[in-house]
Amino acid sequence: MNFQLNEDQQLIEQSARDFAQEFLNPIIARLDQTGEFPKEVVKELADHDFLGLHLPADVGGANAGWVSYVAVIESLSRSCAAVASIMNNHAMASYAISYWGSAAQRNRYVPALIKGDLIGALAICEHGPAPGIGPDALVATKTEGGYVLKGTKAYVRNAGVAGVYVVSAVTDAHDPNALTAFIVDSNVAAIKVGEPITTMGLHGCPVADLVFDNATVPEAAILGTVKGAGEIVRRTLALASLGEAAQTVGIGQAGVEHAAAYAKERVQFGQPIGKFQAVQALLAESATDCHLARLGLRYAAQLAEDGQPFEAEAAMVKSFLARLGSKILVDTCQVEGGMGYSEAMPLPRMFRDIAGTTLLDAPADFPEQLIAASIA
Amino acid sequence: MPKCLVCYKWTLDEKDIKIKPEDLSLDVTRAKGKISDFDRNAIEEATLLVEHQGGAVDALTYGTTAVKQSLKDVLSRGPGRVYWIGDNSAAKADAYVTANVLAAAIQKLGTYDLILCGEGSSDSFNQQTAPRLAALLGLPCVSFVLKLSVEGGTVKATRGLGDCTEVATVKGPVVLSVLGQINHPRIPSLKQVLGANKKPKQEIKIGDLGLAADKLQPRAVPKFERGFVTKRKNIIFKEANAAANVAKLEAGLATEGLQ
Repeated sequence: MNFQLNEDQQLIEQSARDFAQEFLNPIIARLDQTGEFPKEVVKELADHDFLGLHLPADVGGANAGWVSYVAVIESLSRSCAAVASIMNNHAMASYAISYWGSAAQRNRYVPALIKGDLIGALAICEHGPAPGIGPDALVATKTEGGYVLKGTKAYVRNAGVAGVYVVSAVTDAHDPNALTAFIVDSNVAAIKVGEPITTMGLHGCPVADLVFDNATVPEAAILGTVKGAGEIVRRTLALASLGEAAQTVGIGQAGVEHAAAYAKERVQFGQPIGKFQAVQALLAESATDCHLARLGLRYAAQLAEDGQPFEAEAAMVKSFLARLGSKILVDTCQVEGGMGYSEAMPLPRMFRDIAGTTLLDAPADFPEQLIAASIA
Repeated sequence: MPKCLVCYKWTLDEKDIKIKPEDLSLDVTRAKGKISDFDRNAIEEATLLVEHQGGAVDALTYGTTAVKQSLKDVLSRGPGRVYWIGDNSAAKADAYVTANVLAAAIQKLGTYDLILCGEGSSDSFNQQTAPRLAALLGLPCVSFVLKLSVEGGTVKATRGLGDCTEVATVKGPVVLSVLGQINHPRIPSLKQVLGANKKPKQEIKIGDLGLAADKLQPRAVPKFERGFVTKRKNIIFKEANAAANVAKLEAGLATEGLQ
């Protein structure tokens, strides 16, 4: 068993780090302060083939595999997790269309998604306890030649900037668990993007509700089969969780490196604070958590790449990071003391961002259910 | 359409090198390799030239057996083919040995219109490879180039010479060293990285170059390598008023030759 990235993966990771240094580092502060969507950077991601890296060659992707995917997301997140978050959500929409879409759907959307001419978004979550359940669940009613969608999708990342959404909706009133997936263009009449939700972190990655007020879509908008959204949602969200875990690891690693550099420079009581055992313990534990999370993450990504079941392993990483992601940033902030708490330093931004990567999509107890089911 | 050859060095990434506090020796056990920074500029310049005018770019490198790790990286940056000489003599090679090996390999490969090098390597930064290569190959050398154009068989190069620039025009095959300011090396796209797998890589055995043994004996032998650590002086001025403290600071800086 080889724990190293292979040569291609190492070069791809290096490209992503170089990309982050050149294109993300200069905009981090602006993005964090203004929350502007970084359209020009998304286009650069496309020009460097990052938006198609996870897609097969027959649809125009680079076919680089899921291990490369998580290495890229981690590398981008070391600089700017908001951009990685935009890319992750976009990538999941393009993956769903590429994997379950008809030839016509693939031809229509995937090339534009790879080129960054079209932004994609997954719209799965709802305000109820689960998609399809709750008073404002998205319901698709069959009409002649199509469906009428009514309801609300919640916390949609890339909302408002996306040109196409992959959504799940109830198509059988007697069976709310049997959802159907649709590809919905943003310009369909009667779809409204809600007020932008101001988030704690990941500024620049827009989040809003998506309100469908009797929006009509053709039957050709169905992704996969009627009532077939279960598999699409399960697999896509599991892959998305790999990307989210990669964001957490990237932010955590950046925090550890920043704090370690600070500990070398900051002199207190006649020596750099990194010489003190208490500071060493904080750094050592944080570095260990990042390292172990990365190993688990890449293992899960390798399973996905090999076409093997990976959902439980992805959930284990997610669960591990749900507990330890924020702790890494608490500890690295602690190393920097009062300075680390200051907004003049990058750790507060990282602290807010890492919370977004562990909280926004899957609540902390969700992975445990999946893991328990896999071992029961 | 120019036929270009870029010579590059596979060096250790300096950001991964640690200095051992006990004796200031260098710990390179976790240092990864990289294409020397200024050589990336040379690769980029040749690639840009060929993208605009047609022609071809090959790459050539001499290093220890670890140099094999560089091949996909260099091919992802534009060159269509790479030749590599992997031999452990490179571990102690100085500019004299490096130029001898590269020149012998170039003579074996045939004629190139432009042979490009970086101004110096990221590690030793001797700045000797290009001029030595030119001397060994009997070609003109234009060093420290910050702007380059080729028309017909004529090379027009602007040299950056610190306080002034100089424009040199040269006919025909020429060896050039380029400055970091000449361009901004590209970040290879994923398809360029993965496409590098399909490009040809050819090994040249050092024994096939017909070099006499003394050509592989370095003339410059480093006695030791030590990291440089800036020591804090820990001087604190504690005069009662700020003006006196500033005056003392000013005097202290002057003593250190910093004013």
